[in-house]
Amino acid sequence: MSLSLYVRGRTPLHRLPPAVKFGVLFAAGIALFLTDDVAVLGVAAAVAAGLLVSVRPPPAALRRQSTGLLVMLVVIFVAATVFQDLHTALVTLFRLLALLLLALSVTLSTRAADLLEFFERLMAPLARLGLANPARISLGVSLVLRFVPEVQRRYREIREAQAARGLRANPVALVVPLVVRTLKSADDIADAIDARCYPPPRHPDRENT
Amino acid sequence: MSTRSGTGIGTRDVVMIALFAAIIVTLGLVPPVTLGVVPVPITLQTLGVMLAGAVLGPVRGALACALVALLTAVGLPVLAGGRGGIGVFLGPTGGYLVGWIPGALVVGLLVKFWVLRLRGRWAQTAGYTAACVAGGIVVVYLFGVPWLSVSSGLALGEALVGGLVFVPGDLVKAVLAGLVAYGVRRAYPVPVK
Repeated sequence: MSLSLYVRGRTPLHRLPPAVKFGVLFAAGIALFLTDDVAVLGVAAAVAAGLLVSVRPPPAALRRQSTGLLVMLVVIFVAATVFQDLHTALVTLFRLLALLLLALSVTLSTRAADLLEFFERLMAPLARLGLANPARISLGVSLVLRFVPEVQRRYREIREAQAARGLRANPVALVVPLVVRTLKSADDIADAIDARCYPPPRHPDRENT
Repeated sequence: MSTRSGTGIGTRDVVMIALFAAIIVTLGLVPPVTLGVVPVPITLQTLGVMLAGAVLGPVRGALACALVALLTAVGLPVLAGGRGGIGVFLGPTGGYLVGWIPGALVVGLLVKFWVLRLRGRWAQTAGYTAACVAGGIVVVYLFGVPWLSVSSGLALGEALVGGLVFVPGDLVKAVLAGLVAYGVRRAYPVPVK
């Protein structure tokens, strides 16, 4: 698994600030549900497809993100044609296609770190009320990124140990030790973090991930 | 031991939340397990969601799911099959992902105030399973089905019928989650929070 869906590039969409891209996406999300005109939605879908192509995504990444999507869209299209009529089915298809292609272009053209920073700014009012703590959220995010490979390694170890003893894949026998080992390691990690006095009292240095 | 913030979530809690989020991500990445009873292979990601509530408790379980949702939104391929990105929320199945958060919360509440008071191995296992059905299936579908209906233009009833396809697999996962949660509680109990 690659760490992020982001695709390197210097295209116009890459250079737009995340706030603008999200604003447009949000507005499109509302606007696309306000119209029932097949022609308008068809044009919107075509524009979204054009934007996606302008990001120049590698075909492999595109295929992985869109196969499931296409299957879902086909199922919905068929269901809408059967239960309702062709007009509704086309409206739904173009609307979803436009929205999802637009969202995919934003995802592919924006670094995860920039998006995180944008979300943190969105959460700033909550933070001032004491309902969210940006330092703890970024600690949580970096811990997940650090420990997904670790948990995966543990999963493989347990699986291999059980296979070596001739046990077939049994989800319960697999997940119980995985969760227990992970919970046990949580104590050590928390102690290590506390020993380093994290989070620092004021303005923690942001990690450039 | 650990510093406290206004929300009462200390460093140790953040670590547990993050590690459980990592477990949810891992369960989505590992090859799907084929069970004897169900012919189709199922991914174990929603099993992780149920377990987050059942093992960590309502607040931390919901926060673990929220963390996975946040990572999805910033474009990391953390969902089953390597999916991710803001499009997942806008797509027809976005409601299920959002529903994970209140789902884990409800599982955790039921475990905290009901299951832990039950006595006996089978009573507790059944209690965990019931909690996972209520939170991990009913609550998640309460968010997922209306979302599917709005997004796909299907009537609510049709969307519900479409969503029911996944109920058998989810029921199997709820039973698994019950067994796992009981096993974890016996081997390494952590206070629910």
